[in-house]
Amino acid sequence: VAGIELPHKQWPELIGSLLSNSHQLPAHVKQATLETLGYLCEEVSSDVVDQDQVNKILTAVVQGMSSTEVNNDVRLAATRALYNALGFAQANFTNDMERDYIMRVVCEATLSPELKIRQAAFECLVSISASYYEKLAPYIQDIFNITAKAVREDEEPVALQAIEFWSSICDEEIDILEDFVGEFSGDSEVPCFYFIKQALPALVPMLLETLLKQEEDQDLDEGAWNLAMAGGTCLGLVAQTVGDDIIPLVLPFIEENISKPDWRQREAATYAFGSILEGPSPDKLISIVNVALDFMLSALMQDPNNHVKDTTAWTLGRVFEFLHGSTLQTPVITPANCQRIISVLIQSMKDAPNVAEKSCGALYFLAQGYEDSGSSSPLTPFFQDIVQALLVVTHREDAGESRLRTAAYEALNEVVRSSRDDTAPMVMQLVPLIMMELHKTFEVQKLSSEEREKQAELQGLLCGCLQVFIQKLGAFEQTKYVFTQYADQMMGLFLRVFACRSATVHEEAMLAIGALAYATGVDFAKYMPEFFKYLEMGLQNFEEYQVCAITVGVVGDICRALEEKVLPYCDGIMTQLLKDLSSDRLHRSVKPPIFSCFGDIALAIGENFEKYLMYAMPMLQSAAELSAHTPGFDEEMTDYTNLLRDGILEAYSGILQGFKSTAKAPLLMPFAPHILQFLDSLYQEKDMDDAVTKTAVGLLGDLADTLGSHAGPLIQLSVSSREFLNECLSSDDHLIKESAEWARLAITQAVSG
Amino acid sequence: MAPHQVRRPFKRAAISDQQKRRELALLRQQQSRRDSQHQARSSILSLQPE
Repeated sequence: VAGIELPHKQWPELIGSLLSNSHQLPAHVKQATLETLGYLCEEVSSDVVDQDQVNKILTAVVQGMSSTEVNNDVRLAATRALYNALGFAQANFTNDMERDYIMRVVCEATLSPELKIRQAAFECLVSISASYYEKLAPYIQDIFNITAKAVREDEEPVALQAIEFWSSICDEEIDILEDFVGEFSGDSEVPCFYFIKQALPALVPMLLETLLKQEEDQDLDEGAWNLAMAGGTCLGLVAQTVGDDIIPLVLPFIEENISKPDWRQREAATYAFGSILEGPSPDKLISIVNVALDFMLSALMQDPNNHVKDTTAWTLGRVFEFLHGSTLQTPVITPANCQRIISVLIQSMKDAPNVAEKSCGALYFLAQGYEDSGSSSPLTPFFQDIVQALLVVTHREDAGESRLRTAAYEALNEVVRSSRDDTAPMVMQLVPLIMMELHKTFEVQKLSSEEREKQAELQGLLCGCLQVFIQKLGAFEQTKYVFTQYADQMMGLFLRVFACRSATVHEEAMLAIGALAYATGVDFAKYMPEFFKYLEMGLQNFEEYQVCAITVGVVGDICRALEEKVLPYCDGIMTQLLKDLSSDRLHRSVKPPIFSCFGDIALAIGENFEKYLMYAMPMLQSAAELSAHTPGFDEEMTDYTNLLRDGILEAYSGILQGFKSTAKAPLLMPFAPHILQFLDSLYQEKDMDDAVTKTAVGLLGDLADTLGSHAGPLIQLSVSSREFLNECLSSDDHLIKESAEWARLAITQAVSG
Repeated sequence: MAPHQVRRPFKRAAISDQQKRRELALLRQQQSRRDSQHQARSSILSLQPE
């Protein structure tokens, strides 16, 4: 109730009344009061409660947490309440005395004899690490001592939170350091205190110890989370934070344990190695990998333990993910070892589902590394064997375990994506095979809800494969014609998929249909009468906004494929797109692509877009006014604003281009002042990214090109046509420069005409 | 009050294949749009003397 009323300034006496209870006895009233305060802080936004009340809440909570509180239930309720109240404590954390007091009480609570209190106190520390990183320096040594003791000696729920504290610090430092090297160089608001680097000599040994605390069947239980998993995950984050410095601290542990008779030691050594492969520079890792590769391939074949093989296959996958690819100077995979690597991975796909799944994953990254390797792929000689092995995996009876079937289809996708035209005929042979698999899923009737879910999952995977095949084969001239002969059957299958209720499957089918429209071009028109209702359904799917977003993209594909033949469907499409834009229920990320889609429609149907101008233009104008100024310095908001601007500019460009050289072009003249004003204000804001700059200067040219001499004087008056255009003409970005040169030409013609 | 969630992705790739397919579809669509616009611009300019 407070969650509803407080934001409306109702029930102002609530917090005061609650706080008056906190001094009262008996303890259960105190406990209930603290729990209520906790829920209140969880539900209500921090700007709803004024600082005076925040101070009172924190005082009551911290008093309840202190070691002088004899009732453990009260202390636990207070500690949990603090966890929720931390978001309110911004001002209190800037005050040294108040912060010291809060931190002292939290640290004391981590030593409570009661497990739940210790766990809740560590949860507070984790939350503080994320919200108040920059205030932690005076306490970090004490926190290290407390967390190290908890990791080594405390019960698992507490130890997991203690490890999470360090993972969270890594998250913070990775973000800060990314900002240092990113485009906002030096602009990070929070300085990096290098806590991880300083703690490294003690932190890494502590984490390595946890790796030896695996559970017997951890790789078979998908929901498992234990000390070894948390420790390895944290070690991976530490490697990303400090880079090369981690190698000398981990290498001795690997060498010490990798050949030990106890599987736990071999697995821990392998897991440690796999965990540190992202972060350090490839130069430092490749010599170690080259020594370890042969050992790992043998372990994957011969180690008697399932967990060791699981982690070995995963580590190989990480090697291929981070240390293999066209950008790396020294290749890990060479003509000398390629065949062995592939044959070991294929052999390993016959192992237990968890091991086979990791081997499929390793193959995925191995193929990914060859995506940009030039005209021929080293995988070509093995293509048939790899595909055959993956298809066998998809048919294993136990392929439903450990995500194995999914991993096999995903690896197949990547192998096909990275293939070259010399293997295109083999990809072509896969098309009817996968279509048959999809067809088979419709034959099974009367399914339980669990079976239906599995069926939908399989249909999603198969649609995903077909999408990849369509994209691949549609890109090769020699296969495109043969491939389009399957289009009718394929479309028939996709339409049957829409009869299923699963959002994931709809999205997959929609993605595949977009690729099909692109590949078939104008021939796609014959599918429209039947497909249109599903297109409308997709555009109406506010709840699963990804489906809606993908469908908007498919509308664009269809417009480009059908051109003016899309016209009979445009009333329905435009009605829905306008509703989507007006809806508060639709995720905001879908709105920029909807604007771009207006441009696609207008470009396809030309002057026939006239009847939509009275609806589309006011929407564009109000969105343009909103997006012209970026509110505050929030990177996420800036990115979104730029996406929105890009969508609006693309819409205007598409509309102008659609009307170009038609008798109805003057109908756009009344919108020209606003478009120029929008361009001017974007230029004056000085915060356009390169994509927006390129689209904006392109639009300037479109305006001149379509409206010609009618708009010439107006364009000449705008800042955009002078300063902005000149800046773009001297841009280092060749796409911006190219658009600017075109705009200059169009403006010159408009002005002189 | 929910406890702090400590479980992180374990032995999982950073982005799924589905996400990769979405992103590749988006890239293809952006490229096709650019191509269409480029074509629309060049077709008119080619008719006009510089």
